[in-house]
Amino acid sequence: MQLEKFQYDNRIVRNFAYATILWGVVGMLVGLWAALELVFPKVLNVQPWFNFGRIRPLHTNAVIFAFVGNGIFMGYYYSLQRLLKTRMASDILSRIHFWGWQLIIVAAAITLPLGITTSKEYAELEWPIDIAIAVIWVIFGWNMFATILKRRERHLYVAIWFYIATFVTVAVLHIVNSFELPVTFLKSYSWYAGVQDALVQWWYGHNAVAFFLTTPYLGLMYYFLPKAANRPVFSYKLSIIHFWALIFIYIWAGPHHLLYSALPNWAQSLGIVFSFTLIFPSWGGMINGLLTLRGAWDKVREDVILKFMVVAVTAYGMATFEGPMLSLKTINAISHFTDWTIAHVHVGGLGWNGMLTFGILYWLIPKIFKTELYSRKLANAHFWIATLGILFYAIPMYWAGFTQASMWKQFTESGQLKYPFLETVTYLKPFYATRSFGGALYLVGALLMVYNIYKTVRQGKLVANEDAEAPALEKTYQQHNGEHWHRWLERKPVPFLVATLIVILIGGVIEMVPTFLVKSNVPTIASVKPYTPLELQGRDIYVREGCYTCHSQMIRPFRSETERYGEYSKAGEFVYDHPFQWGSKRTGPDLAREGAGNNRKTNTWHFNHLDDPQAISTGSIMPSYSFLIDNVLDTSTTRAKIRAMQTLGVPYEKGYEDKANRDLAIQASQIAATLHNDSIMVPSNREIIAVIAYLQRLGTDIGKNKIAGTSNK
Amino acid sequence: MLKFIKQHAESISGIGIYPVISLLIFFFFFVGLLFYVKKMDKKKVKELKNLPLDEDAGADDDNHKTDKDNHLKHA
Repeated sequence: MQLEKFQYDNRIVRNFAYATILWGVVGMLVGLWAALELVFPKVLNVQPWFNFGRIRPLHTNAVIFAFVGNGIFMGYYYSLQRLLKTRMASDILSRIHFWGWQLIIVAAAITLPLGITTSKEYAELEWPIDIAIAVIWVIFGWNMFATILKRRERHLYVAIWFYIATFVTVAVLHIVNSFELPVTFLKSYSWYAGVQDALVQWWYGHNAVAFFLTTPYLGLMYYFLPKAANRPVFSYKLSIIHFWALIFIYIWAGPHHLLYSALPNWAQSLGIVFSFTLIFPSWGGMINGLLTLRGAWDKVREDVILKFMVVAVTAYGMATFEGPMLSLKTINAISHFTDWTIAHVHVGGLGWNGMLTFGILYWLIPKIFKTELYSRKLANAHFWIATLGILFYAIPMYWAGFTQASMWKQFTESGQLKYPFLETVTYLKPFYATRSFGGALYLVGALLMVYNIYKTVRQGKLVANEDAEAPALEKTYQQHNGEHWHRWLERKPVPFLVATLIVILIGGVIEMVPTFLVKSNVPTIASVKPYTPLELQGRDIYVREGCYTCHSQMIRPFRSETERYGEYSKAGEFVYDHPFQWGSKRTGPDLAREGAGNNRKTNTWHFNHLDDPQAISTGSIMPSYSFLIDNVLDTSTTRAKIRAMQTLGVPYEKGYEDKANRDLAIQASQIAATLHNDSIMVPSNREIIAVIAYLQRLGTDIGKNKIAGTSNK
Repeated sequence: MLKFIKQHAESISGIGIYPVISLLIFFFFFVGLLFYVKKMDKKKVKELKNLPLDEDAGADDDNHKTDKDNHLKHA
């Protein structure tokens, strides 16, 4: 048969590899910075841009979408061309994809420290950037499919199924979760409110883990692990089963992020069942990865690349064992809102994504530069430092999680809560310090890699266009006897795409049905009213400053929580919350009833506390928000914001947008007056007044039709 | 826009059957999957799983390359 000559595009692979390394270091550095802020809150919280609440989203976005994202594309462009025996369909599209993605990352790196955020975790970027992401994602998918269509290898190897599933699902997730109403050029409100918003957000959040951090990396594992070990994957049959099972089950599991919350119980149960079932397909993948090395463990001892990959797959196994456990209600009651979650995600992030990326980089860079790795010794040092770093990170965080949960829940013999919240924070400082040390180790390892790869690149030369040859694809396909339908699917990319879409949509739609139906599941509470204009502006500042990264607004129905924070949260309380602010972590106390019952503090207390938290709460690790005293509140947006809320169904009376700023001024001057009484001479037009108004409003609605109701600590 | 969809979804009577239907679809889908996987032709499976290792040779070449090309030499 005639062999056709063509060339693989290695330049795009190199570009994505460089971007992976660059953003990896940046993302880890920001993470380390954020970690150290919890240890040295006064020194490192450079206000306002580098306050914890603003750079924590920068860290998560940088690591997920910049480091892992570029890592995915690096692996895609390398393996896709070779598995399909063709060059990418369009070099121009490849380049647009590369530069577009980098621009989006730069836009994120600029907007997040400026406080431009939607506050939906891992989807914080505002609407113009959301649109750019959708466009670039489609370009990437277009190029991938055009390449698949001009392939010279009839069958689509298992790695490509994972790539296709990733492309389709991320598109669906991103679009559904990004439904938002633009208010100004860089500000929007989530289309959904309260419980509905929470459900969509965690359907997205969980599946971002599934389809951005897991399925593409499984695809990479199925390609690069066999390449590095020079042996085929353990079981191809297992990969078929585990692929379909994984993408079908993953999409259902989102509600496990909302256990014991105000989400209807039956939706929680659905999430638990599917989360638990996830262990089977996940471990199918891990077993397939590890058993690929059966009979080759002597190689693992010697080959640093395989070492990285083995730790990655092992970490994947541990994280996917832990995940289903964490979704059990009894365990979740302890783990949720604590540092246990942080430990869990870092076993996945540092272990699975990080180590696999490093392994691939060490394998791939010498290949495309036609040289040997500069130093295996350095790579080995990187391996051990990174592994130690993971341990120093994860162990203190698990410990901190257990400690935190048990301190929160402990009562004295006379039935009082044993520890004030602040004491549970100060107790954790040594753990935070050790965790920072672990993170620093991991970063040092990555810097060793930067040097090693720099030297490798210097000693080689990029083979920008690598010659290859393969026979053309026969126009007519000779079907084998007894061929089954899955092989048909493996040959046909478009039906395959449709099949994956159907599979994830079934789970997705069933998951969304509760979202649509949730309205009927949310008992409306007559006394719950929309926010006043000042409170609304204050809430937007609360969102801007990323307060939700440390403060939850969701009191779970446990005695230890109702004693501390007041009456547990009801779904009906959040019907006007666009977006919801339940949070996922309690580095600080819950604020759901900050304005109610015994939790309520004076305006002066809030003013002084925001100005200098440590002066009011000794040992607090909260950053100072003194800049809110200087910032003048922008009331030019009030009208647009009220209009937007009306569009979203919040029942402000007709024409209220014209009166809103008048009401805002009245309420602001009332608050300023109480501060003046305590000799705090702050003008009423400052941002801090709006934030105080919002904090004082929190949780007060349902108190109005109850006489006492809460007993707070 | 969404509120129209929402109202429709809410008004569908017996929507509770949807999850049951989808569960059944996928139960049978997986049983079918297991069945077919079990029946797969061994030779073809071997060929498929060697795809990444065969990339410089023809797709139908079962004798994929060994260490020399696909593995970094040890220092």
